[in-house]
Amino acid sequence: MILGADKDSFLWWAWVEDHYDDIWAATVEHLQLTAIAIGVGIALSVPLAAVALRFRRTYGPIAGVAGILYAIPSLALFAILFPITGLTVLTAEIGLVGYTLLILIRNIVAGVEGVPAAVKEAADGMGYRPLRRFLTVDLRLATPAIIAGVRIASVTTVGLVTVTFVIGFGGYGGLINDGLSRNFNTPVVVGAGLSILLALAIDLILIIFERVMTPWNRVAR
Amino acid sequence: MTADGVAIRLDQVTKTFPGASGPAVGGLDLTVPEGGITVLVGPSGCGKTTTLKMINRLIEPSGGRLEVLGTEIHELPVHELRRQIGYVIQQIGLFPHKTIAENIATVPRLLGWDKARTRARVEELTELVGLDPEHLPRYPTSLSGGQQQRVGVARALAADPPILLMDEPYSAVDPIVRGRLQDELLALQSAVHKTIVVVTHDIDEAIKLGDQIVILEVGGVLEQVGPPEEVLRAPANDFVAGFLGQERGLKRLGLLTVGDAELVEGPVVAVGAAADEARAVMAEHGVDWVGVRDQRRLLGWVAAETLNGSTIGPTDLRAFAATVTPEATLREALDVIVGARSRVAMVQDDEKGYLGMVTIDQIAGGLEA
Repeated sequence: MILGADKDSFLWWAWVEDHYDDIWAATVEHLQLTAIAIGVGIALSVPLAAVALRFRRTYGPIAGVAGILYAIPSLALFAILFPITGLTVLTAEIGLVGYTLLILIRNIVAGVEGVPAAVKEAADGMGYRPLRRFLTVDLRLATPAIIAGVRIASVTTVGLVTVTFVIGFGGYGGLINDGLSRNFNTPVVVGAGLSILLALAIDLILIIFERVMTPWNRVAR
Repeated sequence: MTADGVAIRLDQVTKTFPGASGPAVGGLDLTVPEGGITVLVGPSGCGKTTTLKMINRLIEPSGGRLEVLGTEIHELPVHELRRQIGYVIQQIGLFPHKTIAENIATVPRLLGWDKARTRARVEELTELVGLDPEHLPRYPTSLSGGQQQRVGVARALAADPPILLMDEPYSAVDPIVRGRLQDELLALQSAVHKTIVVVTHDIDEAIKLGDQIVILEVGGVLEQVGPPEEVLRAPANDFVAGFLGQERGLKRLGLLTVGDAELVEGPVVAVGAAADEARAVMAEHGVDWVGVRDQRRLLGWVAAETLNGSTIGPTDLRAFAATVTPEATLREALDVIVGARSRVAMVQDDEKGYLGMVTIDQIAGGLEA
Protein backbone atom coordinates (compact mmCIF):
# COMPACT_ATOMS: atom_id res chain seq x y z
CA MET A 1 0.00 0.00 0.00
CA ILE A 2 1.26 3.41 -0.92
CA LEU A 3 -1.14 5.41 1.16
CA GLY A 4 -0.85 3.41 4.33
CA ALA A 5 -2.50 3.61 7.71
CA ASP A 6 0.68 2.99 9.66
CA LYS A 7 4.11 4.44 10.18
CA ASP A 8 5.92 2.02 7.86
CA SER A 9 3.87 2.68 4.74
CA PHE A 10 5.28 4.74 1.88
CA LEU A 11 3.16 7.76 2.75
CA TRP A 12 1.38 7.80 6.08
CA TRP A 13 -1.42 10.27 5.55
CA ALA A 14 -2.18 10.73 9.24
CA TRP A 15 1.31 12.13 9.74
CA VAL A 16 0.77 14.56 6.91
CA GLU A 17 -2.47 15.77 8.43
CA ASP A 18 -0.79 16.19 11.80
CA HIS A 19 2.10 18.16 10.30
CA TYR A 20 0.40 20.63 7.95
CA ASP A 21 1.96 23.52 9.87
CA ASP A 22 5.47 22.08 9.58
CA ILE A 23 5.02 21.37 5.90
CA TRP A 24 3.72 24.89 5.31
CA ALA A 25 6.64 26.39 7.23
CA ALA A 26 9.06 24.29 5.17
CA THR A 27 7.34 25.45 1.98
CA VAL A 28 7.65 29.12 2.95
CA GLU A 29 11.29 28.69 3.92
CA HIS A 30 12.04 26.83 0.71
CA LEU A 31 10.40 29.53 -1.39
CA GLN A 32 12.14 32.33 0.48
CA LEU A 33 15.58 30.76 0.15
CA THR A 34 14.96 30.13 -3.55
CA ALA A 35 13.54 33.60 -4.26
CA ILE A 36 16.37 35.42 -2.48
CA ALA A 37 18.97 33.29 -4.27
CA ILE A 38 17.46 33.95 -7.71
CA GLY A 39 16.84 37.63 -6.98
CA VAL A 40 20.35 38.27 -5.72
CA GLY A 41 21.75 36.05 -8.48
CA ILE A 42 20.08 38.19 -11.14
CA ALA A 43 21.12 41.41 -9.40
CA LEU A 44 24.75 40.27 -9.47
CA SER A 45 24.68 38.62 -12.88
CA VAL A 46 23.35 41.59 -14.86
CA PRO A 47 26.21 43.95 -13.98
CA LEU A 48 28.78 41.13 -14.27
CA ALA A 49 27.38 40.22 -17.69
CA ALA A 50 27.40 43.90 -18.66
CA VAL A 51 31.07 44.13 -17.73
CA ALA A 52 31.82 40.93 -19.64
CA LEU A 53 30.00 42.28 -22.70
CA ARG A 54 31.61 45.69 -22.54
CA PHE A 55 35.13 44.43 -21.86
CA ARG A 56 35.38 41.15 -23.70
CA ARG A 57 38.59 40.09 -21.99
CA THR A 58 36.85 39.94 -18.64
CA TYR A 59 34.34 37.36 -19.83
CA GLY A 60 36.80 34.48 -19.47
CA PRO A 61 37.78 35.29 -15.87
CA ILE A 62 34.19 36.11 -14.82
CA ALA A 63 32.82 32.90 -16.32
CA GLY A 64 35.79 31.02 -14.89
CA VAL A 65 35.17 32.13 -11.32
CA ALA A 66 31.44 31.47 -11.70
CA GLY A 67 32.32 28.04 -13.10
CA ILE A 68 34.54 27.21 -10.11
CA LEU A 69 31.72 28.23 -7.74
CA TYR A 70 29.38 26.05 -9.74
CA ALA A 71 31.75 23.10 -9.50
CA ILE A 72 32.24 23.13 -5.70
CA PRO A 73 30.18 20.34 -4.12
CA SER A 74 27.39 22.04 -2.19
CA LEU A 75 28.00 20.17 1.08
CA ALA A 76 31.65 21.17 0.97
CA LEU A 77 30.82 24.79 0.25
CA PHE A 78 28.55 25.06 3.28
CA ALA A 79 31.22 23.36 5.38
CA ILE A 80 33.80 25.91 4.23
CA LEU A 81 31.49 28.88 4.82
CA PHE A 82 30.13 27.72 8.17
CA PRO A 83 33.19 28.75 10.26
CA ILE A 84 33.15 32.19 8.60
CA THR A 85 29.52 33.19 8.45
CA GLY A 86 27.97 30.75 10.90
CA LEU A 87 24.53 29.22 10.89
CA THR A 88 22.96 32.17 9.11
CA VAL A 89 20.82 32.83 6.10
CA LEU A 90 23.89 34.54 4.68
CA THR A 91 25.78 31.25 4.65
CA ALA A 92 22.91 29.54 2.90
CA GLU A 93 22.49 32.31 0.36
CA ILE A 94 26.19 32.69 -0.47
CA GLY A 95 26.13 29.08 -1.53
CA LEU A 96 22.81 29.21 -3.34
CA VAL A 97 23.59 32.47 -5.16
CA GLY A 98 26.99 31.11 -6.14
CA TYR A 99 25.36 28.27 -8.02
CA THR A 100 23.09 30.57 -10.04
CA LEU A 101 25.81 32.88 -11.33
CA LEU A 102 27.32 30.72 -14.04
CA ILE A 103 23.96 29.86 -15.59
CA LEU A 104 22.61 33.40 -15.36
CA ILE A 105 25.73 35.19 -16.61
CA ARG A 106 26.14 32.84 -19.55
CA ASN A 107 22.51 33.20 -20.57
CA ILE A 108 22.51 36.98 -20.28
CA VAL A 109 25.71 37.26 -22.31
CA ALA A 110 24.45 34.81 -24.95
CA GLY A 111 21.08 36.56 -25.05
CA VAL A 112 22.55 40.02 -25.55
CA GLU A 113 25.01 38.72 -28.12
CA GLY A 114 22.07 37.21 -29.96
CA VAL A 115 20.37 40.59 -30.41
CA PRO A 116 20.70 41.38 -34.13
CA ALA A 117 23.63 43.68 -34.88
CA ALA A 118 21.34 45.77 -37.08
CA VAL A 119 19.09 46.52 -34.12
CA LYS A 120 22.04 47.58 -31.97
CA GLU A 121 23.42 49.73 -34.76
CA ALA A 122 20.03 51.33 -35.33
CA ALA A 123 19.75 52.09 -31.61
CA ASP A 124 23.22 53.69 -31.58
CA GLY A 125 22.44 55.61 -34.75
CA MET A 126 19.19 56.95 -33.26
CA GLY A 127 21.20 58.40 -30.38
CA TYR A 128 20.61 55.94 -27.54
CA ARG A 129 23.14 56.37 -24.77
CA PRO A 130 24.95 53.13 -23.88
CA LEU A 131 23.24 52.39 -20.55
CA ARG A 132 19.77 53.09 -21.89
CA ARG A 133 20.44 50.92 -24.92
CA PHE A 134 21.69 48.08 -22.71
CA LEU A 135 18.67 48.20 -20.41
CA THR A 136 15.85 48.93 -22.85
CA VAL A 137 17.07 47.29 -26.05
CA ASP A 138 19.76 44.67 -25.39
CA LEU A 139 18.38 43.19 -22.16
CA ARG A 140 14.81 43.54 -23.30
CA LEU A 141 15.46 41.59 -26.48
CA ALA A 142 17.51 39.04 -24.55
CA THR A 143 14.50 38.35 -22.32
CA PRO A 144 13.80 34.87 -23.71
CA ALA A 145 17.41 33.74 -23.19
CA ILE A 146 17.56 35.35 -19.75
CA ILE A 147 14.33 33.72 -18.62
CA ALA A 148 15.58 30.41 -19.97
CA GLY A 149 18.59 30.88 -17.67
CA VAL A 150 16.39 31.83 -14.72
CA ARG A 151 14.34 28.68 -15.28
CA ILE A 152 17.40 26.43 -15.14
CA ALA A 153 18.81 28.35 -12.17
CA SER A 154 15.48 28.12 -10.32
CA VAL A 155 15.09 24.39 -10.77
CA THR A 156 18.70 23.89 -9.69
CA THR A 157 18.24 26.16 -6.67
CA VAL A 158 15.04 24.46 -5.52
CA GLY A 159 17.01 21.20 -5.43
CA LEU A 160 20.00 22.79 -3.71
CA VAL A 161 17.94 24.43 -1.00
CA THR A 162 17.29 20.97 0.46
CA VAL A 163 21.03 20.69 1.15
CA THR A 164 21.03 23.77 3.38
CA PHE A 165 19.59 21.59 6.17
CA VAL A 166 23.23 21.03 7.14
CA ILE A 167 23.36 24.59 8.45
CA GLY A 168 19.91 24.49 9.93
CA PHE A 169 17.71 25.60 7.05
CA GLY A 170 16.74 23.41 4.18
CA GLY A 171 13.02 24.02 3.58
CA TYR A 172 11.83 20.63 2.44
CA GLY A 173 15.38 19.43 3.09
CA GLY A 174 14.56 19.60 6.80
CA LEU A 175 11.69 17.15 6.29
CA ILE A 176 13.85 14.85 4.18
CA ASN A 177 16.65 14.87 6.76
CA ASP A 178 14.21 14.27 9.57
CA GLY A 179 12.78 11.23 7.83
CA LEU A 180 16.15 9.83 6.84
CA SER A 181 17.55 10.14 10.35
CA ARG A 182 14.57 8.29 11.83
CA ASN A 183 14.27 5.75 9.03
CA PHE A 184 10.76 7.11 8.50
CA ASN A 185 9.49 7.24 4.91
CA THR A 186 6.72 9.78 5.02
CA PRO A 187 8.64 13.06 5.61
CA VAL A 188 11.18 12.00 2.99
CA VAL A 189 8.44 11.37 0.43
CA VAL A 190 6.60 14.59 1.31
CA GLY A 191 9.78 16.69 1.25
CA ALA A 192 11.12 15.25 -1.99
CA GLY A 193 7.73 15.22 -3.71
CA LEU A 194 6.89 18.81 -2.79
CA SER A 195 10.38 19.93 -3.78
CA ILE A 196 9.82 18.48 -7.25
CA LEU A 197 6.35 20.03 -7.47
CA LEU A 198 7.72 23.40 -6.40
CA ALA A 199 10.40 23.25 -9.09
CA LEU A 200 7.81 22.40 -11.72
CA ALA A 201 5.45 25.12 -10.50
CA ILE A 202 8.17 27.79 -10.63
CA ASP A 203 9.15 26.60 -14.09
CA LEU A 204 5.57 26.86 -15.29
CA ILE A 205 5.18 30.35 -13.84
CA LEU A 206 8.37 31.44 -15.59
CA ILE A 207 7.14 30.04 -18.91
CA ILE A 208 3.95 32.08 -18.54
CA PHE A 209 5.99 35.11 -17.44
CA GLU A 210 8.12 34.85 -20.57
CA ARG A 211 5.05 34.81 -22.78
CA VAL A 212 3.70 37.88 -21.04
CA MET A 213 7.05 39.65 -21.27
CA THR A 214 7.65 38.96 -24.96
CA PRO A 215 4.43 39.92 -26.74
CA TRP A 216 6.38 40.48 -29.96
CA ASN A 217 7.16 36.77 -30.17
CA ARG A 218 3.50 35.88 -30.12
CA VAL A 219 2.37 37.71 -33.24
CA ALA A 220 1.12 35.56 -36.04
CA ARG A 221 3.05 36.23 -39.20
CA MET B 1 20.42 76.74 -42.74
CA THR B 2 24.14 77.22 -42.79
CA ALA B 3 25.68 80.35 -44.20
CA ASP B 4 27.44 78.62 -47.08
CA GLY B 5 24.73 76.09 -47.95
CA VAL B 6 26.98 73.18 -46.97
CA ALA B 7 25.38 70.57 -44.71
CA ILE B 8 28.35 68.26 -44.31
CA ARG B 9 31.99 69.02 -44.97
CA LEU B 10 34.79 66.47 -44.99
CA ASP B 11 38.29 67.87 -44.90
CA GLN B 12 41.07 65.32 -45.39
CA VAL B 13 39.08 62.71 -43.48
CA THR B 14 40.82 59.37 -43.10
CA LYS B 15 39.93 56.05 -41.55
CA THR B 16 42.36 53.23 -40.99
CA PHE B 17 40.97 50.18 -39.24
CA PRO B 18 43.28 48.46 -36.75
CA GLY B 19 45.25 45.72 -38.46
CA ALA B 20 44.31 46.84 -41.97
CA SER B 21 47.07 47.08 -44.55
CA GLY B 22 45.84 50.40 -45.92
CA PRO B 23 43.30 53.08 -45.11
CA ALA B 24 39.61 52.37 -45.72
CA VAL B 25 39.22 56.06 -46.45
CA GLY B 26 42.28 58.09 -47.29
CA GLY B 27 42.24 61.87 -47.10
CA LEU B 28 38.72 62.47 -48.39
CA ASP B 29 37.59 66.01 -49.20
CA LEU B 30 33.90 66.32 -49.85
CA THR B 31 31.08 68.80 -49.40
CA VAL B 32 27.45 67.78 -49.20
CA PRO B 33 25.17 70.64 -50.15
CA GLU B 34 22.07 71.36 -48.11
CA GLY B 35 18.70 70.16 -49.26
CA GLY B 36 19.77 67.67 -51.90
CA ILE B 37 20.37 63.98 -52.26
CA THR B 38 24.05 63.05 -52.39
CA VAL B 39 24.79 59.45 -53.30
CA LEU B 40 28.06 57.76 -52.35
CA VAL B 41 28.62 54.98 -54.84
CA GLY B 42 31.45 52.61 -55.62
CA PRO B 43 32.54 49.00 -55.53
CA SER B 44 32.98 46.90 -52.36
CA GLY B 45 35.80 48.23 -50.22
CA CYS B 46 35.56 51.78 -51.56
CA GLY B 47 34.82 53.10 -48.08
CA LYS B 48 31.39 54.48 -48.90
CA THR B 49 29.71 52.97 -45.84
CA THR B 50 32.69 53.87 -43.66
CA THR B 51 32.41 57.45 -44.89
CA LEU B 52 28.69 57.54 -44.12
CA LYS B 53 29.14 56.11 -40.66
CA MET B 54 31.84 58.62 -39.80
CA ILE B 55 29.27 61.38 -40.28
CA ASN B 56 27.24 60.15 -37.27
CA ARG B 57 30.31 58.74 -35.54
CA LEU B 58 29.24 55.12 -35.64
CA ILE B 59 32.79 54.89 -36.93
CA GLU B 60 35.34 57.28 -35.49
CA PRO B 61 37.53 59.02 -38.08
CA SER B 62 41.27 58.41 -37.70
CA GLY B 63 42.09 61.87 -38.91
CA GLY B 64 40.85 64.99 -40.64
CA ARG B 65 38.00 67.33 -39.91
CA LEU B 66 34.32 66.51 -40.34
CA GLU B 67 31.67 69.20 -39.92
CA VAL B 68 27.93 68.73 -39.73
CA LEU B 69 25.90 71.93 -40.16
CA GLY B 70 29.01 73.97 -39.48
CA THR B 71 29.94 72.20 -36.25
CA GLU B 72 32.86 69.80 -35.92
CA ILE B 73 31.32 66.45 -34.99
CA HIS B 74 33.33 66.07 -31.80
CA GLU B 75 32.19 69.40 -30.41
CA LEU B 76 28.94 67.97 -29.06
CA PRO B 77 28.09 64.74 -27.24
CA VAL B 78 27.75 61.87 -29.69
CA HIS B 79 24.12 61.09 -28.77
CA GLU B 80 23.16 64.70 -29.45
CA LEU B 81 24.89 64.62 -32.82
CA ARG B 82 23.03 61.45 -33.74
CA ARG B 83 19.64 62.71 -32.64
CA GLN B 84 19.82 65.45 -35.27
CA ILE B 85 20.80 63.01 -38.00
CA GLY B 86 18.22 60.52 -39.20
CA TYR B 87 19.66 57.09 -39.90
CA VAL B 88 18.29 54.34 -42.10
CA ILE B 89 20.35 51.17 -42.10
CA GLN B 90 20.77 48.38 -44.58
CA GLN B 91 18.94 45.60 -42.72
CA ILE B 92 16.31 48.15 -41.62
CA GLY B 93 16.94 47.22 -37.97
CA LEU B 94 13.50 47.94 -36.55
CA PHE B 95 13.18 47.17 -32.86
CA PRO B 96 11.40 43.80 -32.84
CA HIS B 97 10.10 44.32 -29.31
CA LYS B 98 8.44 47.63 -30.08
CA THR B 99 5.27 48.21 -32.04
CA ILE B 100 5.42 50.14 -35.30
CA ALA B 101 4.15 53.26 -33.53
CA GLU B 102 6.80 52.87 -30.81
CA ASN B 103 9.50 52.31 -33.41
CA ILE B 104 8.61 55.53 -35.19
CA ALA B 105 8.47 57.35 -31.85
CA THR B 106 12.00 56.29 -30.87
CA VAL B 107 13.86 59.57 -31.22
CA PRO B 108 10.99 61.80 -29.99
CA ARG B 109 10.98 59.64 -26.85
CA LEU B 110 14.75 59.97 -26.46
CA LEU B 111 14.29 63.71 -26.81
CA GLY B 112 11.55 63.69 -24.17
CA TRP B 113 8.65 64.90 -26.30
CA ASP B 114 5.27 64.72 -24.57
CA LYS B 115 2.83 62.01 -25.58
CA ALA B 116 0.41 64.16 -27.55
CA ARG B 117 3.14 65.71 -29.66
CA THR B 118 4.75 62.33 -30.27
CA ARG B 119 1.46 60.72 -31.27
CA ALA B 120 0.63 63.56 -33.66
CA ARG B 121 4.07 63.26 -35.24
CA VAL B 122 3.75 59.48 -35.61
CA GLU B 123 0.42 59.94 -37.41
CA GLU B 124 1.88 62.60 -39.66
CA LEU B 125 4.82 60.39 -40.63
CA THR B 126 2.61 57.37 -41.17
CA GLU B 127 0.83 59.32 -43.85
CA LEU B 128 4.02 60.87 -45.23
CA VAL B 129 5.68 57.52 -45.93
CA GLY B 130 2.48 55.90 -47.14
CA LEU B 131 2.00 53.41 -44.33
CA ASP B 132 -1.37 51.93 -43.43
CA PRO B 133 -2.25 53.23 -39.91
CA GLU B 134 -3.63 49.77 -39.15
CA HIS B 135 -0.02 48.61 -38.80
CA LEU B 136 0.79 51.04 -35.97
CA PRO B 137 -0.10 48.76 -33.03
CA ARG B 138 1.55 45.73 -34.63
CA TYR B 139 5.07 44.37 -34.27
CA PRO B 140 7.61 44.62 -37.11
CA THR B 141 7.70 40.89 -37.86
CA SER B 142 4.14 41.10 -39.17
CA LEU B 143 5.20 43.54 -41.90
CA SER B 144 6.64 42.90 -45.36
CA GLY B 145 10.15 44.10 -46.20
CA GLY B 146 8.85 47.10 -48.12
CA GLN B 147 6.57 48.16 -45.29
CA GLN B 148 9.38 47.72 -42.77
CA GLN B 149 11.54 49.95 -44.94
CA ARG B 150 8.86 52.67 -44.87
CA VAL B 151 8.76 52.39 -41.08
CA GLY B 152 12.56 52.70 -41.04
CA VAL B 153 12.34 55.95 -42.99
CA ALA B 154 9.52 57.26 -40.79
CA ARG B 155 11.56 56.43 -37.69
CA ALA B 156 14.60 58.23 -39.09
CA LEU B 157 12.54 61.34 -39.88
CA ALA B 158 10.60 61.33 -36.62
CA ALA B 159 12.30 64.24 -34.88
CA ASP B 160 12.51 66.16 -38.17
CA PRO B 161 16.32 65.99 -38.40
CA PRO B 162 17.87 68.26 -41.03
CA ILE B 163 20.04 65.41 -42.28
CA LEU B 164 19.16 61.85 -43.24
CA LEU B 165 21.77 59.13 -43.74
CA MET B 166 20.77 55.99 -45.62
CA ASP B 167 23.10 52.99 -45.80
CA GLU B 168 22.16 50.73 -48.74
CA PRO B 169 18.53 51.35 -47.84
CA TYR B 170 16.95 49.16 -50.49
CA SER B 171 19.26 46.16 -50.57
CA ALA B 172 16.91 44.09 -48.39
CA VAL B 173 13.87 44.37 -50.68
CA ASP B 174 13.09 42.86 -54.06
CA PRO B 175 13.65 44.89 -57.25
CA ILE B 176 10.00 45.83 -57.83
CA VAL B 177 9.54 47.10 -54.30
CA ARG B 178 12.94 48.79 -54.54
CA GLY B 179 11.86 50.82 -57.57
CA ARG B 180 8.68 51.88 -55.81
CA LEU B 181 10.53 52.84 -52.63
CA GLN B 182 13.00 54.90 -54.67
CA ASP B 183 10.09 56.75 -56.26
CA GLU B 184 8.60 57.28 -52.83
CA LEU B 185 11.88 58.68 -51.52
CA LEU B 186 12.02 61.19 -54.37
CA ALA B 187 8.39 62.19 -53.76
CA LEU B 188 9.10 62.45 -50.03
CA GLN B 189 12.18 64.55 -50.66
CA SER B 190 10.23 67.02 -52.79
CA ALA B 191 8.02 67.50 -49.71
CA VAL B 192 10.62 67.62 -46.94
CA HIS B 193 13.80 68.96 -48.63
CA LYS B 194 16.25 67.23 -46.30
CA THR B 195 19.94 66.85 -46.84
CA ILE B 196 20.09 63.15 -47.67
CA VAL B 197 23.22 61.06 -48.03
CA VAL B 198 22.65 57.64 -49.57
CA VAL B 199 25.19 54.83 -49.88
CA THR B 200 24.71 52.29 -52.63
CA HIS B 201 26.73 49.97 -54.83
CA ASP B 202 24.09 50.24 -57.55
CA ILE B 203 25.02 52.90 -60.11
CA ASP B 204 21.48 52.95 -61.52
CA GLU B 205 20.11 53.69 -58.07
CA ALA B 206 22.70 56.44 -57.69
CA ILE B 207 21.73 57.98 -61.03
CA LYS B 208 18.04 57.79 -60.23
CA LEU B 209 18.22 59.25 -56.72
CA GLY B 210 21.19 61.57 -56.75
CA ASP B 211 21.27 65.32 -57.19
CA GLN B 212 24.98 64.80 -56.72
CA ILE B 213 26.80 61.52 -57.04
CA VAL B 214 30.16 60.79 -55.47
CA ILE B 215 32.11 57.99 -57.09
CA LEU B 216 34.66 56.33 -54.84
CA GLU B 217 37.38 53.83 -55.66
CA VAL B 218 38.75 51.18 -53.30
CA GLY B 219 40.56 52.80 -50.37
CA GLY B 220 38.15 55.72 -50.18
CA VAL B 221 39.66 57.52 -53.14
CA LEU B 222 37.43 60.17 -54.65
CA GLU B 223 37.16 59.71 -58.43
CA GLN B 224 34.42 62.11 -59.42
CA VAL B 225 31.71 64.29 -57.92
CA GLY B 226 28.88 65.90 -59.81
CA PRO B 227 25.29 65.74 -60.92
CA PRO B 228 24.60 62.31 -62.47
CA GLU B 229 23.92 63.86 -65.86
CA GLU B 230 27.33 65.53 -65.86
CA VAL B 231 29.15 62.41 -64.67
CA LEU B 232 27.49 60.34 -67.38
CA ARG B 233 28.31 62.93 -70.05
CA ALA B 234 31.93 63.37 -69.06
CA PRO B 235 33.36 60.59 -66.88
CA ALA B 236 36.56 61.85 -65.27
CA ASN B 237 38.57 58.74 -66.05
CA ASP B 238 38.49 55.11 -67.14
CA PHE B 239 37.53 53.90 -63.68
CA VAL B 240 34.44 56.09 -63.64
CA ALA B 241 33.56 55.18 -67.22
CA GLY B 242 33.95 51.50 -66.38
CA PHE B 243 31.89 51.83 -63.25
CA LEU B 244 29.12 53.65 -65.10
CA GLY B 245 29.03 50.60 -67.33
CA GLN B 246 27.34 49.95 -70.64
CA GLU B 247 24.56 52.12 -72.05
CA ARG B 248 25.91 55.31 -70.55
CA GLY B 249 24.09 57.26 -73.25
CA LEU B 250 20.83 55.52 -72.52
CA LYS B 251 21.29 56.19 -68.80
CA ARG B 252 21.73 59.87 -69.56
CA LEU B 253 18.61 59.84 -71.69
CA GLY B 254 16.81 58.59 -68.60
CA LEU B 255 17.78 61.83 -66.83
CA LEU B 256 16.85 64.27 -69.61
CA THR B 257 13.25 65.14 -70.36
CA VAL B 258 11.55 65.76 -73.67
CA GLY B 259 11.08 69.34 -72.51
CA ASP B 260 14.88 69.71 -72.46
CA ALA B 261 15.20 68.71 -76.12
CA GLU B 262 14.75 71.00 -79.08
CA LEU B 263 11.53 70.02 -80.77
CA VAL B 264 10.67 70.32 -84.44
CA GLU B 265 7.37 71.42 -85.91
CA GLY B 266 7.40 68.40 -88.26
CA PRO B 267 5.10 67.63 -91.19
CA VAL B 268 1.92 69.24 -89.96
CA VAL B 269 -0.95 71.01 -91.66
CA ALA B 270 -3.99 72.73 -90.23
CA VAL B 271 -7.28 70.95 -90.23
CA GLY B 272 -9.18 71.90 -93.39
CA ALA B 273 -6.00 72.26 -95.42
CA ALA B 274 -6.07 71.34 -99.11
CA ALA B 275 -4.84 67.91 -100.15
CA ASP B 276 -2.22 69.55 -102.37
CA GLU B 277 -0.82 71.49 -99.47
CA ALA B 278 -0.60 68.25 -97.45
CA ARG B 279 1.24 66.56 -100.33
CA ALA B 280 3.68 69.45 -100.52
CA VAL B 281 4.43 69.24 -96.78
CA MET B 282 4.99 65.48 -97.07
CA ALA B 283 7.36 65.96 -99.99
CA GLU B 284 9.25 68.64 -98.12
CA HIS B 285 9.81 66.31 -95.14
CA GLY B 286 10.25 63.19 -97.25
CA VAL B 287 7.45 61.28 -95.52
CA ASP B 288 4.22 59.64 -96.63
CA TRP B 289 2.02 60.99 -93.87
CA VAL B 290 1.11 64.32 -92.36
CA GLY B 291 -0.03 65.47 -88.94
CA VAL B 292 -3.18 67.57 -88.69
CA ARG B 293 -3.73 70.16 -86.03
CA ASP B 294 -6.15 72.83 -84.96
CA GLN B 295 -5.21 76.02 -83.15
CA ARG B 296 -4.02 74.12 -80.10
CA ARG B 297 -3.88 70.41 -80.41
CA LEU B 298 -2.57 67.82 -82.78
CA LEU B 299 -5.70 65.97 -83.86
CA GLY B 300 -4.24 63.00 -85.72
CA TRP B 301 -2.63 62.07 -88.98
CA VAL B 302 -3.44 61.00 -92.51
CA ALA B 303 -1.45 58.78 -94.83
CA ALA B 304 -0.62 59.87 -98.39
CA GLU B 305 -2.58 57.04 -100.02
CA THR B 306 -5.78 58.01 -98.23
CA LEU B 307 -5.67 61.61 -99.40
CA ASN B 308 -8.51 61.86 -101.93
CA GLY B 309 -10.75 64.80 -101.20
CA SER B 310 -9.83 68.39 -101.83
CA THR B 311 -9.50 69.19 -98.10
CA ILE B 312 -8.67 67.24 -94.96
CA GLY B 313 -11.58 66.99 -92.53
CA PRO B 314 -11.49 65.86 -88.92
CA THR B 315 -13.16 62.56 -89.85
CA ASP B 316 -10.30 61.48 -92.09
CA LEU B 317 -7.81 61.36 -89.22
CA ARG B 318 -6.17 58.49 -87.45
CA ALA B 319 -4.97 58.90 -83.86
CA PHE B 320 -1.28 59.09 -83.03
CA ALA B 321 -0.08 56.18 -80.96
CA ALA B 322 3.34 57.71 -80.43
CA THR B 323 2.60 60.57 -78.04
CA VAL B 324 4.64 61.70 -75.05
CA THR B 325 4.39 64.50 -72.50
CA PRO B 326 7.14 67.09 -72.00
CA GLU B 327 7.84 65.51 -68.60
CA ALA B 328 8.69 62.14 -70.16
CA THR B 329 12.37 61.23 -70.24
CA LEU B 330 14.19 61.12 -73.55
CA ARG B 331 14.70 57.43 -72.88
CA GLU B 332 10.94 56.93 -72.77
CA ALA B 333 10.56 59.04 -75.92
CA LEU B 334 13.17 56.89 -77.64
CA ASP B 335 11.24 53.78 -76.71
CA VAL B 336 8.09 55.29 -78.21
CA ILE B 337 9.92 56.36 -81.37
CA VAL B 338 11.45 52.97 -82.13
CA GLY B 339 7.99 51.44 -81.76
CA ALA B 340 6.30 53.93 -84.07
CA ARG B 341 5.92 53.50 -87.83
CA SER B 342 6.52 57.21 -88.34
CA ARG B 343 9.79 57.19 -86.29
CA VAL B 344 8.71 60.33 -84.43
CA ALA B 345 6.95 60.99 -81.14
CA MET B 346 4.39 63.74 -80.80
CA VAL B 347 4.83 65.97 -77.77
CA GLN B 348 1.53 67.07 -76.29
CA ASP B 349 0.97 68.90 -73.05
CA ASP B 350 -2.40 68.78 -71.32
CA GLU B 351 -2.48 72.54 -70.93
CA LYS B 352 -0.28 73.91 -73.68
CA GLY B 353 -1.43 71.51 -76.37
CA TYR B 354 0.85 70.47 -79.22
CA LEU B 355 4.48 71.40 -78.67
CA GLY B 356 6.21 69.69 -81.55
CA MET B 357 7.77 66.41 -82.53
CA VAL B 358 10.82 64.63 -81.24
CA THR B 359 12.89 62.40 -83.49
CA ILE B 360 16.06 60.37 -83.12
CA ASP B 361 17.97 63.46 -84.25
CA GLN B 362 16.57 65.62 -81.47
CA ILE B 363 17.37 62.91 -78.93
CA ALA B 364 20.94 62.64 -80.16
CA GLY B 365 21.11 66.43 -80.06
CA GLY B 366 19.91 66.37 -76.45
CA LEU B 367 22.84 64.16 -75.55
CA GLU B 368 25.32 66.58 -77.08
CA ALA B 369 23.95 69.55 -75.15
